[in-house]
Amino acid sequence: MVNLTIDGKSVSVPKDTTILEAARQVDVHIPTLCWLEKVSTTGACRICAVEIEGVDRPMTACNTPVKEGINVTTQSEKLTRTRKQIMELILVNHPLDCPVCDAGGECDLQDTCYELGVVRQEFKADDVNPETINHWPLIQQVPNRCILCEKCVKVCHELIGADALFVNDKGDRAFIDKKVENCTYCGNCVSVCPTGTMISKPFKFRARPWALKKVPSVCTYCPSQCQIDLNVKDNEVYRVTSDDEGTTNTGNLCVGGFFGYSYINNKNRLIQPVVEQQPASWDKAFERVVADIERVKAESGAAAIAGFGSPRLTNEENYLFQKLFRAAIGSNNIDTEARFGAQRALRALDKGLGLHGASNSLTSIGNADVVLVFGADPTAEAPGVDWKIQDAVRRNGGKLVIANMRQIHLTQFADSQLTYKPGSAISLANGLGRLLLDRGLLDEDDLKRTVSNLDELKADLAAVDLEKVIAATGLSRESIEQAADIIGQADKVAVIFGADICKSGFGTSKSAVIANLAILSGALRSDGGLFPLDEKGNTQGVLDMGVYPEDLPGFQSYAENKDKFAKAWNCTLPEGGLDADGILQEIEAGKVRFLYLSATNPQSFPNSSRWLKALEKVEVLVVQDIFPSDITQLATVVLPGSSYAEKSGSFTSLDQTVRSFNQAIRPVGQSREDGEIFAELYGRLSKTSVTFSQADTYAEISELTSLYNTASILDDERNTCLRKPYQVADQSLQYQLITVDCGVEGLQLLTGTSSGHFGTTSTWAAAPLEVEPEGLVQVSTEDAKQAGVVDGDKLKMTSVNGSTVGKVLISESVPQGLIFAPHNFIALGVQQLMLDGENMTSVQIEKV
Amino acid sequence: MSQVAFSSWGRQVIDNRQGGDTEVEVAKKKLPVTFDGEKQISAFMGWDGLILNDPNVDVVAMAAEYAKHVQEDYCCAKCSPGKKGTRVMQDTLARIVSGKGEESDLDTIENIGELLQNCKCTLCMTSAIPIVDTVKHFRDDYLAYIRGENKEKKAVDYKLKMTAPCQDKCPSHIDIPAYIEAIKDRRFDESLDIIRESMPLPAICGRVCPHPCETACRRANVDSPINIMVLKRTASDYEWKHNHHPLMQPKPKKDKTIAIVGAGPAGLAAAYYLALEGYPCTIYETLPEGFGGGMIAVGIPAYRMPRHILQRDIDIICSMGVEIVYDTKVGRDVSLMELKEKFDAVLLAPGAHKSKPMGVEGEEEGYSGFLEGGIEFLREAYMGKPTGMGKKVCVVGGGNTAIDCVRVALREGAEDSILLYRRTRKEMPADVWEIDGADEEGVQFEFLVLPKKIVVNDQRQVTGVECLKMELGEPDDSGRRRPQPIEGSEFVVECDTLIPAIGQDPDLSFITEDTGIKITRWNTVVTKYIPLKNAADRDLNDEMGNPLSRTLLTDMDGVFASGDAEIGPLTVVACVGNAHRAAKVIQRWLEEGEAYLTDEDFHEDILSNLGVYDKDEDVPWLDAVQRFDQHEIHGKERASSGNYNEVELGFSDSEAIMEAERCLRCYRVSMIAI
Repeated sequence: MVNLTIDGKSVSVPKDTTILEAARQVDVHIPTLCWLEKVSTTGACRICAVEIEGVDRPMTACNTPVKEGINVTTQSEKLTRTRKQIMELILVNHPLDCPVCDAGGECDLQDTCYELGVVRQEFKADDVNPETINHWPLIQQVPNRCILCEKCVKVCHELIGADALFVNDKGDRAFIDKKVENCTYCGNCVSVCPTGTMISKPFKFRARPWALKKVPSVCTYCPSQCQIDLNVKDNEVYRVTSDDEGTTNTGNLCVGGFFGYSYINNKNRLIQPVVEQQPASWDKAFERVVADIERVKAESGAAAIAGFGSPRLTNEENYLFQKLFRAAIGSNNIDTEARFGAQRALRALDKGLGLHGASNSLTSIGNADVVLVFGADPTAEAPGVDWKIQDAVRRNGGKLVIANMRQIHLTQFADSQLTYKPGSAISLANGLGRLLLDRGLLDEDDLKRTVSNLDELKADLAAVDLEKVIAATGLSRESIEQAADIIGQADKVAVIFGADICKSGFGTSKSAVIANLAILSGALRSDGGLFPLDEKGNTQGVLDMGVYPEDLPGFQSYAENKDKFAKAWNCTLPEGGLDADGILQEIEAGKVRFLYLSATNPQSFPNSSRWLKALEKVEVLVVQDIFPSDITQLATVVLPGSSYAEKSGSFTSLDQTVRSFNQAIRPVGQSREDGEIFAELYGRLSKTSVTFSQADTYAEISELTSLYNTASILDDERNTCLRKPYQVADQSLQYQLITVDCGVEGLQLLTGTSSGHFGTTSTWAAAPLEVEPEGLVQVSTEDAKQAGVVDGDKLKMTSVNGSTVGKVLISESVPQGLIFAPHNFIALGVQQLMLDGENMTSVQIEKV
Repeated sequence: MSQVAFSSWGRQVIDNRQGGDTEVEVAKKKLPVTFDGEKQISAFMGWDGLILNDPNVDVVAMAAEYAKHVQEDYCCAKCSPGKKGTRVMQDTLARIVSGKGEESDLDTIENIGELLQNCKCTLCMTSAIPIVDTVKHFRDDYLAYIRGENKEKKAVDYKLKMTAPCQDKCPSHIDIPAYIEAIKDRRFDESLDIIRESMPLPAICGRVCPHPCETACRRANVDSPINIMVLKRTASDYEWKHNHHPLMQPKPKKDKTIAIVGAGPAGLAAAYYLALEGYPCTIYETLPEGFGGGMIAVGIPAYRMPRHILQRDIDIICSMGVEIVYDTKVGRDVSLMELKEKFDAVLLAPGAHKSKPMGVEGEEEGYSGFLEGGIEFLREAYMGKPTGMGKKVCVVGGGNTAIDCVRVALREGAEDSILLYRRTRKEMPADVWEIDGADEEGVQFEFLVLPKKIVVNDQRQVTGVECLKMELGEPDDSGRRRPQPIEGSEFVVECDTLIPAIGQDPDLSFITEDTGIKITRWNTVVTKYIPLKNAADRDLNDEMGNPLSRTLLTDMDGVFASGDAEIGPLTVVACVGNAHRAAKVIQRWLEEGEAYLTDEDFHEDILSNLGVYDKDEDVPWLDAVQRFDQHEIHGKERASSGNYNEVELGFSDSEAIMEAERCLRCYRVSMIAI
């Protein structure tokens, strides 16, 4: 500890603490303007300068570390005069447009002038009056309001890793410029701007900050679930902000979080129930749904009825949905789109590790010594995870190993990038395991204690043929060895895997080899972590709620706990139950006659054309959603649901943290909260009166499951409920023997999410659509040359399932033999080409 | 009479305007009389004041011009007082010069001058110093402007240059503050890009540079210098560790071609800069493929400079369109005249690969165990060839090569590795850290000894070396105390191997007489220069005694020389700086038919001679963070037989950032009126 005196107060702080931080500890206020805690100090404004006895010049408190025995003075006549004069200099030629400036009311420059009593202007200079930059999408830059604090530059470079913004030119002409091609439109430059320099175009001139009400909420675009504030007025969301303090995302947002809100008040929202394609009242719609359920049930039994829950809905809504189906309708034919991804990871993790999701909190990623990202693009699938990885790798000295078929945004920070050939993920994971064993990098004692089948594990690893691994993956031995060394030599290991693993064919097996790697690398220790990513916001929640036939809420086996729930719900529960694949087959077989899709669009499912045909065939189709689609066109009844802004509820993030939020605006038009719709149907079907209450549902979930660790509910704005820490018990880990290898042949088309969009919802938000209006097909230079296409050309892709046409983007991020296309755009139609439940397929390509 | 009318340089005011002839030391000794051999320097304005040679120079206009350039061309704008303060300064001075000034403007200038002391770095801060000096000492000139009474003064031309003490001291003139700031900003690739603008072998100079820059680091005036070299290594290592591609883009290919003799630091650096400009270069290298790099390869052992990292820098240069023809000795396999015929220009950069004779009895006898020299020994060890070394090795010399030899001897399996030096440890020209490294590895030192005679047995095998004991006498020209033999003090140091490592020479036998290229008596190539003299009428020379400003053109048109063979055996960084200039001059010669130096070149040389660093400057700063040294493998095992693993391990990124944060960014602007 270092001892020093600040304005006569003694303080003792750790080495490397700055004078500014030390002063805060003893409540000495030092004015700042350019200082932003979450980025490196800039030291640009100079107003935090303080005097230190024996040092013959003022030192800036923000970036001067403490020294033993120093005597600091923060207030003196000279300092005050200097601070005021520097502020006067900053204000030389600062425009007097405060009344119409977007920052009015939340301007740090105004506040600091006020605080320091800067009331006159001694200095004058010619006004270089740089022009406003208006040609950037979504963001306007007004350079003459800029104080060049570089907060925007630093957030862009240090936290997001986009490296788009930079200071251009010299002297008074200097301004913040942008390499537009690098911009990810995360809007953090706008958030951190202390003045009205960086402006959100969609928000500009729409509302004064003080007229907006900030409602604490949770972003549901992805499972990192950043904590946000919906800024609302007149039943409309005007913008989204996030606090640096008290949020896991430290105020950072992505394009979805910052700009993606506008789908909420999109004019195309479904605002009225529809029956037989005609507008109808809620009463008529409910009557029709209930009548059809009762009719089909009477004719064919409840097993002829099936439904889909959704990761877009709250925990409470999903709970009600499964209860509606199981208790009120009497059918266990329920599932979600997680069947094609997260469900597989869950199965593998449950079997091998006894885990029902991630093993640790997101924060632990930021503290890891090494992060292994396997078959995931965190930037696109869960941006909040990307930022934590950058915390680890760029700020905390951690190393990054990426195993991916493509180069991703994070590749630039990787110490090792293993670009493996399509179809060789299992080989690579096994190869890494073998090398960890061979190179003496396993923690034998720990494995002995925790793994139940250690002998099998060793025998299995010893049987891995490294030459075959090298041939299958197309990687050099040195590169795999280097990666194994990096992983094996680290103490705190975070393993992250995503869509390329769990959404692909053999997804459960692939997830299992990752679970094995987690065992071998020590990632399951309390300071490491294993993190399956799913792109959808509340996937963890929908799985927690048991919206699939195998389990009841809280991962309680349906078969084994049926009676407990039947008793609690005062009903009898059906036997069996169909999952998504079963439902599809039974629709095709004419056995499932009634399908209820809540916040689910099967056009984004793999082999979507098969699904579309099935939907055309099903006798009664109820679609509960917020936007019109090809599916609503087919529906017998359309029920307009609502977005998260319009409801109260809770979501569960990928690290199993549960956060509650309150309704920010009323449901638009006649739309209703989805929970209310389920409750109404439940009431009508069970002939009881049920009103939807979030609190009651939450309480019921708590009672029937052990999901919510009530002891760890925080007293914060979102009643954050942290998961119980995962502890590896003795002999509790099961190494899973996976030998299947699924090599592929020919050119592969891989689908995944674009980093500019989230599911299909963001394609209804004007801002993300402005920067990425359509899905492009990424093709390597070599494959493009072979097909004779250049950027912008149309490319026809044909698989065994059919063909579709997309616009080409030649990209260095895909290797020869692999093309990548986003599945966010239904119009691009790549999901039609996929086989059932897969995300990659052999295709032939030709220029159109 | 003094040449100077007024000077405030070094914060010491000397005013000869009203008569008087007080000398100004700096102006008399360090500044040339002319800027470029012709144009007289009439005034000099910079970070430490004003030197006015010609009293007819308009000092007010000069201050206004200086302020304008500081604000418009150099101010980085990254702190408020700098960005806005220099703007107010510029406009206030401009107002005065345009006749619209008021007397209160002079107070504003002094006020801004004071506010600029709060700047983040020293660029704008030091720019205020000469300006405020003019207001203080030339107030009447200002008032004349303000009152509309100023008289027409002598028309002058201004030359400006931004520099920094470290950048000036670096023979390659790397923009050190900029690359350190990029590291501070966590922009490692950008940092490396800045380094490459003046240093195309960053991995090497990040490891083995004697870093003269650190002897001119102003942070040393606070506590200790910034670890500039290891920061360079950090930027360089970041690129290869993350598999990033270098950022620079060579220009489209041009027609004219250049042949380069020698793939050492000078040859590679010249090729890099010429290739960047689009010129195809062909380097002829005596050694076989895999041993490119000249003295960096065969003269610097792999524990200091791992081969694969050196090779990466070479590969990058080759990827820019440079061809290296290995195993080809100019003068043996191809003649210089043939190269002259085949290529549009030729650069001679053969290096200095021949050991100097030691002058001991028996040296010429071809005894077994007496090796040719240190450089040859290092080369053979590096190439994995038999070195002829035994178990008990004596190396004679006190430079870095001698140290490399004793340390390599251990790694080649020597049981005893002994260094013989005629002065004491303190006088050794080798870098301190190298001597310490040898010490740690178990090298034995014999100081104050002079080898006299090689002792052999009847098989003509070396068994020892007879030496005289020495004592230190009066200091010689180099300032080191001259060693003197003690009569009758002969004694024998037992050994089976004796390696002389007292210096090296270029082998210039390939430069035949018919070329007309002259060779100096120190066995270096003579090149053209522009004579610069100081006010005391003495020629200005560089540290090696060469004329200060050389075009590097030899006596044969189209043939240039660079590196150790031009400068005299020196350092990698000196060769690179020299080769960079050669590349620029070659380009001018190819494009304009004339080998000349630009104003920028002259300004650079003038500042180098003047010196930008002042070790006596009082630098007020809180010494809260001490210099951080890189990680290193310790213990004798690091020098065990066959162990050539790198000894120094560099910084982690966050350590580098912390070290970079210590940098005071000592930029300053020089303006010369001619």
